[in-house]
Amino acid sequence: MQTLALIGNPNCGKTTLFNLLTGTSAYVGNWPGVTVEKKEGMTNGHRILDLPGIYSLSPYSPEEKLSRRYILDEQPDLIIDVIDATNLERSLYLTNQLAELGRPLLLVLNMEDLLEKEGITIDAKRLSQMTGAPVVQISASKGTGIEALQAQIEKSLSEKKLPLCPLFSNFVERYISEIIGDDYLHQIPKGRQMRWAAIKLIEADELFLSSMPAPPPAFKTYIEKARKELEAHFEDDPEAIIIDQRYKVAEHIAKDCQIKKKTKKGFEFDSIATHRFAAIPLFLAIMAGVFYLSIGLVGGYTTPLLEELFAFLGEQVHLIADRFGVFPLLSGILADGIIAGVGAVLTFVPQLFVLFLLLSILEDCGYMARIAFIMDRMMRTLGLSGKSIIPLVIGTGCSVPAIMSSRTIEHQKQRELTVIVTPFIPCGAKMPVFALMLTYFFPGKWFIAPMIYLLGIVAVVVTGLLARALDRHKETNAFILELPRYQLPSPRNTWLQTRERTLGFIQKAGTIILLSSVIIYLLSSYSFTLQAVDAEQSMLAMLGKLIAPIFAPLGFGFWQASVALLTGIAAKESIVSTLSVTIGTANLGALFTSDSALSYMTFILLSSPCIAAISAMFKELGSKRKLLYAVLWQTGFAYLAALLVRLIVLLTL
Amino acid sequence: MHMTMDELTVGQTGAVKAINAPKQLKRRLMDMGFTKGVGVEVVKMAPMGDPMEVTVRGYHLCLRKAEASVIELR
Repeated sequence: MQTLALIGNPNCGKTTLFNLLTGTSAYVGNWPGVTVEKKEGMTNGHRILDLPGIYSLSPYSPEEKLSRRYILDEQPDLIIDVIDATNLERSLYLTNQLAELGRPLLLVLNMEDLLEKEGITIDAKRLSQMTGAPVVQISASKGTGIEALQAQIEKSLSEKKLPLCPLFSNFVERYISEIIGDDYLHQIPKGRQMRWAAIKLIEADELFLSSMPAPPPAFKTYIEKARKELEAHFEDDPEAIIIDQRYKVAEHIAKDCQIKKKTKKGFEFDSIATHRFAAIPLFLAIMAGVFYLSIGLVGGYTTPLLEELFAFLGEQVHLIADRFGVFPLLSGILADGIIAGVGAVLTFVPQLFVLFLLLSILEDCGYMARIAFIMDRMMRTLGLSGKSIIPLVIGTGCSVPAIMSSRTIEHQKQRELTVIVTPFIPCGAKMPVFALMLTYFFPGKWFIAPMIYLLGIVAVVVTGLLARALDRHKETNAFILELPRYQLPSPRNTWLQTRERTLGFIQKAGTIILLSSVIIYLLSSYSFTLQAVDAEQSMLAMLGKLIAPIFAPLGFGFWQASVALLTGIAAKESIVSTLSVTIGTANLGALFTSDSALSYMTFILLSSPCIAAISAMFKELGSKRKLLYAVLWQTGFAYLAALLVRLIVLLTL
Repeated sequence: MHMTMDELTVGQTGAVKAINAPKQLKRRLMDMGFTKGVGVEVVKMAPMGDPMEVTVRGYHLCLRKAEASVIELR
């Protein structure tokens, strides 16, 4: 089996192409750095890899190191370099580096459909001549040119033709050929190219040097002399000289292959989106709009309907069971376990569908990077980066991709802090709990729901300020972000992303929630001696009563609430299904009061996320100790905040 | 001391002369296209005056003033 590697600048459409070639629906969005890990798939009987987007193969950033190591060690049979055709020059800078790796190369000019609008024409044939690599023009978002690409992949795989290496100025080339002439170069690891190795020696590339045996003294002196002479000639350090040379080649090729016409610009959304005064209010309005549309408008209409439907189904099961004399345990599991539990969660499918749809449009249109741009200054005072806002927005859908998207934040402390605060933003799965509580205890009080989100934001702010105050080294750090072009979200893509996330939610309801509902029903119907008993004497009640006292100060020290919190660790939707199995959605008032309902919601909002998000946190934090601190902080903060909320409510109402 | 990129105001242009930064940041900026002689234009400032949006080599990039201040212009 042969291996293909997709590589290219961030946000050039690699994942969209990957999805097209493999028929999958991996996560895509329109900001640089959506893919943070390599993904594998199959296309036409070949293994294909989607690597994180990179600008260069420098030895510094983790993604660049990963891509570079992958190509050098795994030796893919074909490198598919995806190029944003509207950004040819900078893309060719990476192409120049890929060409030196000694693997067959295929250039894919993506976003062909946008060229006309941008006033750009590219001579693909000339580009192919100059780089020595075949060139295919496609539009991944429109799905055009894919057949030609597939045909070219097969052709390239059988031809195994190597691309041309970019040639630098004579002054530099002289040193390269002298270095290649030395015996030391024969010691380079298998599969590395001599020319590439010579350039790495000139650059004094740390990663390369550490992979080589120590050079003989005479050769070492020679390299040092060469570096000194280059420095003196170009008045810059050798690493910078090489970058400069590569960009010169890129400029030369781009100049020769493309014609750029000046295009007239019409009204730009960007002038409001990043406007001095309007930008931040607009962002808040857009987020408010997203929630109003999904939760308020759609949810307000569909939720009661679906609730009635599931209540009706439950009753019918009991009626039919009674008539035919079905064993009551079976009808109980079906009606009070499965239909009550899973139904309580499925009720939220329509509004989550709308939420996922709107988020996917936001992610696809290019606005996310602008939010990072306008919010950076504010986020910095919290010890976070502008890029931290992206995980926080995505987190309103699901914390898992949100936590993963924090990986593009350069600075380690800011990245870790972002990972810790992202779960404070209530995800879609927590929504059912809030909706259930709010409609029962505070019908018509619409202003409480936004306050939950506000409380989540307050938790982010407090954590950020605290972390900043405790941080002794207040270092400044880089915030460099490409601002992508605005684009209309492609319907196909939006549909794929929305469907994927909604199905994920439904699937969870059909698996984890279903299973936990049945288990909870059984545990709450039997005692340890397996006698059918009242819920109060059941196994579940006994277990719940062990931990319930911890929550007594918060006002929900009864076992049902504690058990629901425990099942919430598996998936937050389980809280609703457990409450509806153990208490019943119509009887919440028997145990909860309005103050304990508020403190319960606060605790759920801020305490540790579900197990999937915790493992995502572990992956990003990279240490068990840090994870423990993070979870303790979240849970401790949640406990105190819930206590405070309850006290305030008790004192004021 | 010469002019640095953070001193440009919206609409002003310049050409890169040198990057005075530690190795890693210098490489990062150069990888993004800030090589000697390349033209830059400041397009926009964020609502609170920082970070700034610039165009370089035909694309848009945002960076903080702290990073812009290491890019010396001629």
